This record gives sequence, C-alpha cells and structure tokens, in this order.
Amino acid sequence: MQPDKFYYDNKIVRNFGIATVIWGIIGMLVGLIIAIQLYKPEMNMHNQYTTFGRVRPLHTNAVIFAFVGNAIFMGIYYSLQRLMKARMFSDVLSKIHFWGWQLIIVSAVITLPLGLTTSHEYAELEWPIDILITIVWVVFGINMFGTIIKRRERHIYVAVWFYIATFVTIAVLHIINSVEIPVSFFKSYMVFAGVQDALVQWWYGHNAVAFFLTTPYLGMMYYFLPKMANRPIYSYKLSILHFWALIFIYIWAGPHHLLYSTLPGWAQSLGVVFSVMLIAPSWGGMINGLLTLRGAWDKVRDDVTLKFMVVGLTAYGMATFEGPMLSLKQVNAIGHFTDWIIAHVHVGALGWNGFLTFAILYWLVPRIYKTELYSKKMASFHFWIGTLGILFYAIPMYWAGFTQGLMLKEFTPEGILKYPSFLETTMRILPMHVMRSVGGALYLTGVIVMAYNLYKTAVQGKLVANEAAEAMPLPKLNPEAGTERWHRRLERKPIMFLIVSLIVILIGTFVELMPTLTISSNIPTIASVKPYTPLELQGRDLYIREGCVNCHSQTIRPFRSETERYGEYSKAGEFVYDHPFLWGSKRTGPDLQREGGKYGDSWHYNHLMDPRLMSPGSIMPNYDWLITQKLDTTSTGAKIRAMQKLGVPYPAGYDKIANQDLDKQAKGIADNLAKDHIKVKSNKEIVAIIAYLQRLGTDIKAGKTANN
Amino acid sequence: MKPIRIIFLSLFVLAITPAFAEDGGLLSGETMNYIGYGAIMLALITLCIAMYVVLKAFRVVAQILLGPEGLEKEKTSKVALKAERKAARADRLNKLLSLKPMSEEKSILIEHDYDGIQELDNPTPAWFMYLFYVTIAFAIGYLLIYHVFGVGQLQYDEYRTEMAAAAKEKAAFLAKSADKVDENTVKLTTDAGALAAGKSVFQERCAACHGVNGQGMVGPNLTDDYWLHGNSINDIFKTIKYGVQSKGMPTWESQLTPKQISDVANFIKSLHGSNPANPKEPQGTKIAEDNGSTSAKEAKAKTAMVVK
Repeated sequence: MQPDKFYYDNKIVRNFGIATVIWGIIGMLVGLIIAIQLYKPEMNMHNQYTTFGRVRPLHTNAVIFAFVGNAIFMGIYYSLQRLMKARMFSDVLSKIHFWGWQLIIVSAVITLPLGLTTSHEYAELEWPIDILITIVWVVFGINMFGTIIKRRERHIYVAVWFYIATFVTIAVLHIINSVEIPVSFFKSYMVFAGVQDALVQWWYGHNAVAFFLTTPYLGMMYYFLPKMANRPIYSYKLSILHFWALIFIYIWAGPHHLLYSTLPGWAQSLGVVFSVMLIAPSWGGMINGLLTLRGAWDKVRDDVTLKFMVVGLTAYGMATFEGPMLSLKQVNAIGHFTDWIIAHVHVGALGWNGFLTFAILYWLVPRIYKTELYSKKMASFHFWIGTLGILFYAIPMYWAGFTQGLMLKEFTPEGILKYPSFLETTMRILPMHVMRSVGGALYLTGVIVMAYNLYKTAVQGKLVANEAAEAMPLPKLNPEAGTERWHRRLERKPIMFLIVSLIVILIGTFVELMPTLTISSNIPTIASVKPYTPLELQGRDLYIREGCVNCHSQTIRPFRSETERYGEYSKAGEFVYDHPFLWGSKRTGPDLQREGGKYGDSWHYNHLMDPRLMSPGSIMPNYDWLITQKLDTTSTGAKIRAMQKLGVPYPAGYDKIANQDLDKQAKGIADNLAKDHIKVKSNKEIVAIIAYLQRLGTDIKAGKTANN
Repeated sequence: MKPIRIIFLSLFVLAITPAFAEDGGLLSGETMNYIGYGAIMLALITLCIAMYVVLKAFRVVAQILLGPEGLEKEKTSKVALKAERKAARADRLNKLLSLKPMSEEKSILIEHDYDGIQELDNPTPAWFMYLFYVTIAFAIGYLLIYHVFGVGQLQYDEYRTEMAAAAKEKAAFLAKSADKVDENTVKLTTDAGALAAGKSVFQERCAACHGVNGQGMVGPNLTDDYWLHGNSINDIFKTIKYGVQSKGMPTWESQLTPKQISDVANFIKSLHGSNPANPKEPQGTKIAEDNGSTSAKEAKAKTAMVVK
C-alpha cells in the first residue's frame, strides 16, 4: 500500500498565532490601565468609555476569549492536523472560523466601552454577538470533527480527548447561560432572575475557567510538552483517570462562587465537596506533565520553552490547590469579594495560560517558518521578567486580600466594627494596588519583547504555508480489535467519545441546575417585594451599563460583620424580579444591597458627581456624565413588555402608561434635590440611578412596617 | 565595589527617610505610608539588581583567579560531583514517588505513537490515588455531617450562634466599662477632652453632610436655633444613635461607641450660635437653647413628638 501524500495547513496556525500576540498585548494593556485606575481614578481620562466599570469586562474578555481563545485555536489547529495525520477538514471553514472569531472580538471591543452588556461575568456580550459566537463555535466544531473523521490514525490521542470535551461543554455552557429575551438590538434581559440567574451564571463562569482555560490547555500540554522534551508521556493510565474525573467533577463545583449567598444550602455544599474532590484530578495533569520531563530536566536548564512549561504547570498546580481551599466555607468567608481572588485567578492566568502560550509560540513559530528563534537571550529575558511580574502581581494582591478581608471582620470589645468605614480598609491596601500594577507592567514588557522576537524570527525565515506530510491510509479494522480494553475501543470512536463526554458533563449540570430552576420551594417568596418602578428599572439598566457591579456587590452574607455594616442579610425572595441578578463577585467598594434610604438623594447626587466630596479619599471615578445625559425613555415600553413576558407582574397595558409614572417619580426626586439647592432637570440619567439606589433593599423593610 | 557601596548607601537613606519625616511632622501619615511603600519597592528592585551584579562579578572574578586551566579542572570536578548528587537525589525521589528507575523504561513503553509521541504504561502513582480517595472520603463525610446527621451548622444557624456569642460578649464588656450611656442617661458636659474627642469624630464622620463647621450641606445646619428632631442632649444622642431613615441620616449605633455618640452630641451642642460661614437655611422648628440637661421625662415627651 502506498502512503498518502498531503499538506498540513500552517498558514491558519500562523494567523491564529499573530492574533494571539496582538490581542494579548491589547488585553494586558487594558488590564494595566484599569489596575492603575484602582489607585488613580483619573486614569479613566475623564471619559465614560474608558472608566473601570465598562473597561474591566473588556480586559477579561480580551485576555480570555481573544488572547487565550486564539492561542487555543493556534494550538489545536497545529496539533490536531498532526495527531490525525490529515489537513484540516476545510480551508474555507478555517477561514470563516478565524475571521468570525476576530469579528466577535472587535464587536466586544466596540460594544463593551459603550456600556452594552448583559452584566453576566465573562459573558457580557449582548445577544446578537452571542448568536455570532454560537455560529463560529459550530463552524469550529464541524471543522474539528471533519478532520477527526477523515483521519489516518485509528485511535485518538489524549490531547484530542480534551479538545472534544472543550468543544462540547463550551457549547452547552454558552447556550444555557445566554438564554435572554431581546428588548432591542443592543439590549436584553436574562430569562432567569435572582438566585436562579446567579446559579446559571456561576455554573457557567466556573466552567468557562474549566473548559476554556483548563481543558484545552491540558490538551495542548499533552501534545507540545512531549514534543519539546522529546520524552514519552509518563502514564497513559493516569491520562484516562484524570481526564474523566476532571470533566465529571469540574462541572459540579460552580456553587463555590455563591457560598453564604441565598443559594440553597445543599447546592452550596455540593459546590464545596466537588471542589475538594477536584484537587487530585487537576493535579493528575500537572504530575503527568512534570513526570514526562523525567530524564529531561537537564534540558529544562537550557531550553527556555521548557522553563515556561515547568513554571506554567507549577502555577497550574498551585492555583488548582488554592481553588479547593478557597471553596472551604471558613476560608471563603475571608477571601471572597477581596483581592485574594484576583491573586488566585492571575496565578492561573499569567502562570498557566500565559506561560504555556508563550512556550508554544516560541516552539512553534520557528518551526512553521523553518528557521531558528531570532534571539534566545530575549526569550530568556522574557521568562525571567515574566516570572518576576507574576510575583510582583500575586504577592501584593494576596497581602491586600488578607488585610482587607480581616479588617472588615474585626470588632472592638465594645461590640462595634473596628473599621466601620469601608473606605478605610480600601485606603490601607492602595499601596498594594500600586505594586500590582508594577507587576503587571513587568509581565506586559515581557510579552512585548516576545512579540518583537517572534516578528524577527518570522522575518528571517519563510512561512511553510503548506507543509508536506505523508501517512498510510487507515486500513480496514482488524478483527482482533474487539478484544481491546473498553477505553481503547472508545478512543477509535470519536462521535461516541463526544456523546459520552456530553453525558458526563450533563449529570452534574442537571442535578444542580434543575431543582433550583424548577422547584419553587427553593426560593421562598416575600409578599412585600414588588417590581421596580419604570424609573427604577431604567436606573437599574444604567447601573448595568456603567458596570457598577464590577466593584459593588448586592448580596449581604449572614455574618455579624456584614449585617452590622450593611444591614439585614439577603433573602432569596428579594431578587425575584432581578433580571439579571447583580450580586457581583468583588467588593472594591462596599455592598449596596441595603443602600436604599441610607443617605439622602442629594448625598447620592454629590457622590456620583464627585465621590470625594462625600467620601474623601474614595477611589470611585466621577460619574458626572450622568448629570448631563438625558435619560432615554423611548425604551421604557419595550422594557416593561419584556419584563411582563418574563413573569414580572406589571398590570396589563402598563407599558403604555409607564412613562407617566416615570416622569412623576423623576419630578419628585428633582424637587427633593432642589430643596437642597441642587438644580437638575428631572429627565437626566442621574435621577433614574438615584431612584434605583434609593429602592435597593428597602422592600423587606416596607413589609416589616406593614406587619408591625 | 563602588557601585555596591552606593546601593547600600541609597538603601540606608531610603530606610531612614520616613523616620526623618516623622520627626519633622511635615508630611501626613498617608504620604509617609506611600513613601515607605515606595522605599520598600525600590529596595526590592535594587536588591534584585544588586544580586544580579554581584553574581556576574563573582563569575568574572572566578574566571580571572582560576585561569583557563583551573577553570576547566573546576568544571569537570564540579560536574562529577553534581552527577553523583543528582543520582542520589533521583534515587530518593523515585522511592518516595514509587517511580520505576529510568533504565526500566523501555519495558513499559506502549508501542503505538502519535505524531512521534509515545506513552508509558506507568500505573497511576499510589500517593496520587490516596489523595484522591481522601478527598472523596472528605466529601462523603462533609455531606453526612451537614445534611444527614445535621451536626454541622449551615449558614443561618451559624449566624445565630455568632450573633448570640457576640451579644453575650458585648454585654459582659459594657457591664464592666464606664462607657455605658444611652439616650436616657447621657449628660451635657463642657469637658474639653470630651468635646475634642467629639470634634474628631464629627470631622471624620459628620462633616461630609453637615459641613466642617456644622453649617449644613446635605444635612441640616447644626448651629442655628432650628431643629428637626429636638435639641436636648438626649434628643441629639438619640438622632445620632438610631438615625432618621426618611431623611437620609444613617444609624450610627453600630459604628460608634456609646461614649463616642455622647462626645459628638456634646460637641454639636457646643456649636450652637457659632455662626459659621455659608450657613444652610433653617429647617425644622425654632427651639430655645436649654443650656442644661433635660430630665429623662422631658426628653421622652419630646422624642414621642418627634416619632409622630
């Protein structure tokens, strides 16, 4: 039999590689800018489009979906072709995938600063872009499975198992988490509300980390590490065990983001125990990688790509041990909402995703350009400055997290909070924020040096756009094949593999999501909780637009330190009209759930105009544009109708008269402000957001007065 | 050695700068903190650079001292020593991790390869499996404790326990302390210490809304004859302690000690008639200044009026 001759498509790999580097630099630069804003709010350049609340999602989206996303596709397109001994299924689909993905990112770069957001963390993009993501993801899936089906290799290697699990799980996550009802072309409401929405979001958010930042990178590690070190994979058995254990257990762990919230206790406990059980399956990947380097450690000393791999794997091991520890309720009580979490995710992002990506780029670019790396010295410099950058980033953030977490919980012997003013704890950690931005700048410098190094490498070589290869066509299946072990048999049935993976990830999904989404007793209703008035609803959408949720939580945990500081702890029934939920995940500022009535309207007016007027030393940016911009009330009717469709009990036909109520309430607030010598027209945005802030958390108080 | 001396000198200067600043008292604590942290940062970076320079310098010195031959000799003996140590270390590690020696690797190599990548048929490491089993046992135990036997407290029970313990502690502390004042027992005083303490609390917590001199901004003027919630020391204490939800006056009970509330209430009393610049227009009803502590009875009658 003659071997088939065919060509690997290197051009698409190169394109994804370029996109990785460019978006990486942009995403990290945005990160650096917002890091500086956290101690120098003027770094928003007095411009609403570059202010923290709107740009923070841009940073997370750019580094996750643009930098890491393109790196995943680069790694998969390179390794899949070689592992399947086949060119990608379709060059056209490859191109559509590449440009489609870039289009998604560009639309994110445009819409997020404009404040068009669903406010679901790591899924902020509005519904038209969600649809585009779905289409491009399906294109990627067809291209991947097309390649797998026309393969010249009977069994699929462990790297490809991870790619398959990534594809199918991300599809499920994205679709379920994006169930939203459009209000207009750029605005939608989440179908679920409150606790339910929170559960869906964090089931998604946690598994986006699992199946976008972890599994595809483990897959790439399994291909590129043995290639770089020229060593066999340490244990095939370990691969099988940790792959299945990882994807099965990961999907359950989402509720650990909602500990001490109003999520039912059983769901929280499942989140805790499955997180703890994740330690071993996660470490399985790390030890299989590190033990693959057995007998090649001398190479690590000289080879910068291997250095990157080793630090990356170690960072992965640290982050995946820390994660389960943070899921323990006692630890979570201190760490949650603080900079500790920021440190934790950046050890993973900068160490694991960043360093693995750099290693792969340094290894792969010279190969597809048939040349040597332009400068090993520069690469080595990148490694050291990158490592230093991670340390300078993580250590101050841990420090800040512990400091603030503990300060917020401290009481004096008189039984009052030692630091009753939240701001005092913020000011204490600002020096740490300064150091963190230095760490980030070091890391970014390394990436820029890499970009230059890779550019010079590309220039001195010549791209082998189509790399010749040959392999024997697949022979007929050997009748002996029936005696294979069960897993070996599964490895030659990719579609079956896909289905089994899907079932494995759906088990945890159903057990956790279904009861909370369907059994009403999980969310006890509160009679005095009423829908938002039209003005408050508009104000809430401004709160969403400005990304207030990125710094202010709206959920008070049942701790003495929180009920003393903020007021009564949250009840599940308070959030039933919150489409989407706005609990937040980080308290850069204080919680706002019981903000209503705490201060007067004029306090809020002055505070939004310039927070330092009311809270000297505050790092909140000025929101003066809310004073000049007119509230768009043309959307009120459509918003009320959308809410009615979601089951919010506005009276029939209310959408037509809603604006009358809106005007009346706005006038009341404007009059109230006028009493304090603040002249503002009632049709300005600031009036709506004040209305919303004054409503927050007040419904259960109303209930109490009525009952008493 | 000159550069090193300079580095040390600058480190020294950086280290003592904050101390000088403290003596001089020219800079605020805030700025000093920044300088301090900046110094730490700079010191860290300088240390990194210094270590790098020293390392390089040692290398060069070693090269010069040993000469080419000595260097070669040094190298070979070092390599041999290193190899020996490495072998011993690897052996220990292998035993610890239950790894097969490298020499036996061929026998466990799985024949098949994927694009040149081979796999070994090593078992999953025993310690790894134990780790996995222990976490599974933990999970089962955890669920049993919290959800089957009901031994562990879930969050709301945990909260009740925490609050009960805190209330007990607080009561025990206040019983012993002299701070135990409330709206009925608070006394008007002109004690300078109390007024100074009250002033500092006022500047920190109240000035944002009532103005630095109590002239009123968002909140009402506290220096004129007009009062919304009564002007006796008892009334003021009560307004501060419980707040006035509808007017945006926060509750301070959980943020200030009874003594602090008493001090700040007395400080406010002392502001009366101070005629600050830019006063806010009068709000509430005109009440004559009483210049003496009202009896508890009177205070009660007044507060009853306010509640209405």
